Amino acid sequence: MSAPLDVMRFGSGQSVRRIEDPALVRGAGRFTDDVNPPGQLFAAFVRSTVAHGRLKGVDTAAARAMPGVKAVFTGAELAAAGVKPIALAPAMKRPDGSPMTAAPRRALAHERVRCVGDAVALVVAASRAEAKAAADAVVVDLEELPAVVDVVRALEPGAPVVWEAAPDNVCAEARHGDPAAVQAAFERAAHRVRLHLVNQRLAPSPMEPRSVLAWMESGRLHMRLSSQMPTAVRGGLADCIPGLTVEQVRVQVGDVGGGFGMKTGIYPEDVAIGYAARALGAPVKWQAERLEDFLSAVHGRDVVTDAELALDAQGRVLALRTCSLAAVGASATTTGVLIQMLIGPWVTTGVYDIPLIDLHLTAVLTNVNATGAYRGAGRPEAVYITERLMDAAARQIGLDPAELRRRNMIRPAQMPYQNPMGQVYDVGAFEKIMDQGLALADWGGFEARRAASKARGRLRGRGLATFLEWTGGNALVEQVKVDVTADGFVELTSATMPMGQGIATSYAQLAVDVFGVPIERIRVLQGDTDRANGFGSAGSRSLFTGGAAVHVAAEKSVARGKELAADALEAPAADIEYRTGRFTVAGTDLGIGLFELAGRQPGGRFAVEDSATAGAPSWPNGCHVCEVEIDPATGVVEVVAYASVNDIGRIVNPVIVQGQIEGGAVQGIGQALCEELRYDADSGQLLSASFMDYALPHADVFRGFKTAFDTSIPCTTNLLGAKGVGELGTIGATPAVVNAVVDALSAAGHGAAALQLQMPLTAERVWRALQAPA
Amino acid sequence: MPVVTLTLNGRPTSADLPEPTLLVELLRSAAGLTGTHVGCDTSQCGACTVLLDGRAVKSCTVLALQADGRAVTTVEGLAGADGSLHPLQEAFIACHGLQCGFCTPGMIMSAAGLLADNPRPTEAEVVDALEGNLCRCTGYVNIVKAVLQGAEALREGAR
Repeated sequence: MSAPLDVMRFGSGQSVRRIEDPALVRGAGRFTDDVNPPGQLFAAFVRSTVAHGRLKGVDTAAARAMPGVKAVFTGAELAAAGVKPIALAPAMKRPDGSPMTAAPRRALAHERVRCVGDAVALVVAASRAEAKAAADAVVVDLEELPAVVDVVRALEPGAPVVWEAAPDNVCAEARHGDPAAVQAAFERAAHRVRLHLVNQRLAPSPMEPRSVLAWMESGRLHMRLSSQMPTAVRGGLADCIPGLTVEQVRVQVGDVGGGFGMKTGIYPEDVAIGYAARALGAPVKWQAERLEDFLSAVHGRDVVTDAELALDAQGRVLALRTCSLAAVGASATTTGVLIQMLIGPWVTTGVYDIPLIDLHLTAVLTNVNATGAYRGAGRPEAVYITERLMDAAARQIGLDPAELRRRNMIRPAQMPYQNPMGQVYDVGAFEKIMDQGLALADWGGFEARRAASKARGRLRGRGLATFLEWTGGNALVEQVKVDVTADGFVELTSATMPMGQGIATSYAQLAVDVFGVPIERIRVLQGDTDRANGFGSAGSRSLFTGGAAVHVAAEKSVARGKELAADALEAPAADIEYRTGRFTVAGTDLGIGLFELAGRQPGGRFAVEDSATAGAPSWPNGCHVCEVEIDPATGVVEVVAYASVNDIGRIVNPVIVQGQIEGGAVQGIGQALCEELRYDADSGQLLSASFMDYALPHADVFRGFKTAFDTSIPCTTNLLGAKGVGELGTIGATPAVVNAVVDALSAAGHGAAALQLQMPLTAERVWRALQAPA
Repeated sequence: MPVVTLTLNGRPTSADLPEPTLLVELLRSAAGLTGTHVGCDTSQCGACTVLLDGRAVKSCTVLALQADGRAVTTVEGLAGADGSLHPLQEAFIACHGLQCGFCTPGMIMSAAGLLADNPRPTEAEVVDALEGNLCRCTGYVNIVKAVLQGAEALREGAR
């Protein structure tokens, strides 16, 4: 009986080779720009070159006369046609109690531009080169207005006003916790620690830029694009384009060349391209240039925080107080605001039993691009603050940083634990995870390694981060359709999206568990709003919501198959057994194959649809330990060791999750050491708008990861017991790396300068810190 | 418009193109070979890497006219005539050297260019050869592993 065993090699828990890969390594993927329908036209946007200005006129006459040009659209035309801005949900409030507000997020700017890169006009032509040439011929008549880039300056009286509905430039404000009780705790505290921390603006930078192809078919608008959330794009198009209902839109997504949150929700460009395709009755393609993605795809982070910790004499944290200013752009997104105002605060106290908080956050409008989701989305910012404070406190009190954390950790006996933001953790054994992390990193052997580095003229430092994060996007229901087909496939149709995380393979493994057929017999269909709709893939939710739905629907499919087999075999349903692709009548030789049974059904298939609902977010957590070496002559920081132990509950594919942690950690290292989107403070020009200027980690970044998982603490609120894994590595890496650099500098007598350093810790910044008097 | 004649994945090919056409545009549009990707506009990302007379080049920085009379190999030209994967392609799958797969064709072609010159690269030489290729998903760990494993498989196959 080798067959079943063979099949189960492809079930869950195994490092199955990904079913996505054979096409991708051959160059046979189907990314949006790989699809070229006959008669396709090409679009190019004309973008604002100034940060703030009054649009006096857009002269398109010369552009319209250029070769190949089919149409030129302006914001005034779109506004006159009733195209609406992308809605901002009133999810938070302004200081005066009114709903949060931001400048309209229009498909094409109308009357004002508020950011370098705002789209002002759209040219459609027969070729890409003709569209670009004509875009250069559009004359934009602008009266430049004073711009404000810095968040502190934006809040000062007399600062330029970004959007008249918010004369104070405040988009939203939130205050969580008990300020009076926190103040009292600070007054009685034995130790107080204070840090000024900058989570700099980042570019998510999926390697595939945004791309959109829209066309009309049977009176419906079809859009093919690179997106994590096709259903949201469908809804957004119907909201913005007049006379278009949700039913009249079909959104399809093929391969997605990385998302990282940047491809969630609808973009102004999507609306413009959809509008143009409908107006012209022809397929219109827009492929963002990398420059355009730097300018107008959502950015991540950008929060400046004053953070304080009050501790008692034994190092127990009494209270945490933060005051943060988040730059959410001019035409902010709902997500970008919520990430800073709410989602980050949900995990600020993390794995620690901190009784009192006072978190004051202000979302500020400035003349820069909107922020949105970027891997971690609020949690990296929050965890960075807390983990920097923990290290600073340990150093000030004279405690081992692990010991200080130990004294403050939530105990398993306290589970379920409600944190001061009202978030409830179902399970967690944080001290156990930390102890494994310290062992994996050989925490005790560090001083010898530091001495060895010193002998080679290098400054060695060690950084620790113990943390948890919230996953699921609070979108906890997912539905899956299972079709068994006569041509020998089990088809899984889901509204969650692939973007490199291997979700199709993980789903296929879960289906193999139930059906017992070879993984080659499983087909996963995603990315078509005519087939499935839902929240999409974001917030590390897909496996524990969609995977659970795969399991439920697959079991229901087998149950349905038993009923059909009972009819086919003329036996009572109760006597039908199922095993590895075959239904049999118990105690007899009578039976029928799974796919043969499908062939007997009308249409050659039988289908069931079912959903699963997770009861709550999952709370993955980890202990990440990084060691760095600094070359004191140059200030260059090198990551030399990185060990992590991660609790992500049940694991479906070990190789995939390891890839998520390590690839994610490199993004976190990128924030710590090299990445920064910087706007010129006066002109509002984006200074780092190419991969020449925006420093992504390259292949030499670091390869010695030691990555381990503790699977003994499954999530109790979803059927699989899985916890989201996609963002954990990014969240842990940034504080672990920076804490290591601060440790190295402090040990070399530059502790005061080290505490002034802000990310990215480039060679120049570190070198300057080393020049400060010890 | 000038006519470009080249050997593309072993087959003689010619195309009538405007002079400023880039090699990557010829590949993706005229030849319909969409495995070669464009991820930036400043020649940094390397997703468009192909072999030009056996050397890895970024096809976004080569004019189609410069390929006249020369041999170009894209990721579509790597597999065997029977469709069997090239050892590098096999190794990328085996090592989980790709996630979203967008940078992968460029990574594989850069690696193929390296191995043509240096069949037995050290890890440092692999890292150096991939300096011009960006990946945002994997953190490069498994890409470097895949190139080393692919190199070994190629050497064994050549024996």
